[in-house]
Amino acid sequence: MAGIRLVARRELGAYFDSPIAYITAAVFLVLAGTSFMNSFFLQGVIDMTPFFETLPYLLIPFVPALTMRTWSEEHAQGTVELLLTLPLLPLQLVIGKYGAALLYFALILAGSLPIVGMLSWLGAPDLGLILSGYLGAFLLGALFLAFGQFLSSLTHNQIVAFALGALLACVLVFSGHPSVVEVIDGLAPTWQPGTVMADAISCLPHYEAFVGGLIGLDHLLYFLLLSAFFLWLTQVGLRRIQY
Amino acid sequence: MIRVQSVTRTYGATVAVDDISFHVGAGQIVGFVGPNGAGKSTLLKMLATFLRPTAGSVAVAGFDTVTDALQVRQRIGYLPGDTPLYRDMVVEDLVRFVGAAHGLLGGALEAAMARVIDMCDIAPVLSLRVRECSTGFRQRVGLSCALIHDPPVLLLDEPTHGFDPLQVMAFRDLLTRLKQDRAILFSTHIIADVEAVSDRVLIIHQGRLLGDGTLAELEQRTGAPGLENIFAQLVSAGAERRP
Repeated sequence: MAGIRLVARRELGAYFDSPIAYITAAVFLVLAGTSFMNSFFLQGVIDMTPFFETLPYLLIPFVPALTMRTWSEEHAQGTVELLLTLPLLPLQLVIGKYGAALLYFALILAGSLPIVGMLSWLGAPDLGLILSGYLGAFLLGALFLAFGQFLSSLTHNQIVAFALGALLACVLVFSGHPSVVEVIDGLAPTWQPGTVMADAISCLPHYEAFVGGLIGLDHLLYFLLLSAFFLWLTQVGLRRIQY
Repeated sequence: MIRVQSVTRTYGATVAVDDISFHVGAGQIVGFVGPNGAGKSTLLKMLATFLRPTAGSVAVAGFDTVTDALQVRQRIGYLPGDTPLYRDMVVEDLVRFVGAAHGLLGGALEAAMARVIDMCDIAPVLSLRVRECSTGFRQRVGLSCALIHDPPVLLLDEPTHGFDPLQVMAFRDLLTRLKQDRAILFSTHIIADVEAVSDRVLIIHQGRLLGDGTLAELEQRTGAPGLENIFAQLVSAGAERRP
């Protein structure tokens, strides 16, 4: 545990040291805030759902921008040799870096809390629904961070890591988008491949359940198991460096 | 303290280290000489547990580098070639990070910090970021990281790279002071470094160990005076033997 904390602290320091992280966070919060305010003024409803509905699409570029340097920078600078010859297990390194990224993401997500304050000031929003939406947003970010870290461990190039991360995020999100599902279903109406794909791989239906206030075990397990799977893959990849 | 037994390491079809065996006892400084690409760094990476041997076995302080990698890492101080360090970290934070990764906490860490700051003379750059340090200071910071936990085995890859003549002299003096009860193996292609401090010399070329002995023993064996001539003679003889 001490090793994980140590790595997480160093990693968190690196996040707060980087101007890119601040810029990315600011852009993310401005986009999320303005897109919410737009729909808030149009609909005039005391409800945070529009914010959570936009979030997956904003996370597609945002999370890979956070994770792209996680391992690719270690490879490029050679510091992976320093890390892997310290008396720490690869899993401790992976979880430490992941924990730091999660904390950083949670802090940025918390940057949207003024919206909750504003809605509470204006009326009586459903706080249970908002809490469930935040849990869904956190789990979605956790999944994106996990595969972002894994993809970053595959390459020395941060841009490649970003592109791969954004691509996978696109697949996981858009494979569950109603328009995409409808188009793919239309290609083979008998088999309904779009629906099958949405049920099998997309994170959107699971996320939307949280946004709708439904905290189901199946949805929780989808995010937790898939995130754990990518973390496990990352540490397997680190062990492979030795061969 | 270091036992290398019939070790071979290949990268695909390329043989980087070819059936090498030697040992280094406590209280010995062994210089590892060879031209660029001879396999010195690969061998040190295997000793430091960063790479696994393709064949043969490596043991450090009685622990196998593959099956007991964590035990080995606790007992080695490793300065990799090109000194990969976190360029954005403040020097003091970096050395503390490495010390904490070795389990040093509180008073023990403070004492270790004071020891390496004095030993490696890094006080002038403690508050600078690594990227702001000169090559010589970066090398000394790397050395501090390798020495922070007072390891019984030191593995140094091109440790005088970037040093000015005064720093080279100080480093040789430091090695001589450190050698008591320690096994020190350092690689270099600077013959003068080896002649100045080594108790024994290993000469490696194209992955094969061509010579192992004290300077006097190697002079007697080859009939050539001085390490430079010994090296040239063994390397040319070794090259002739290879197809």
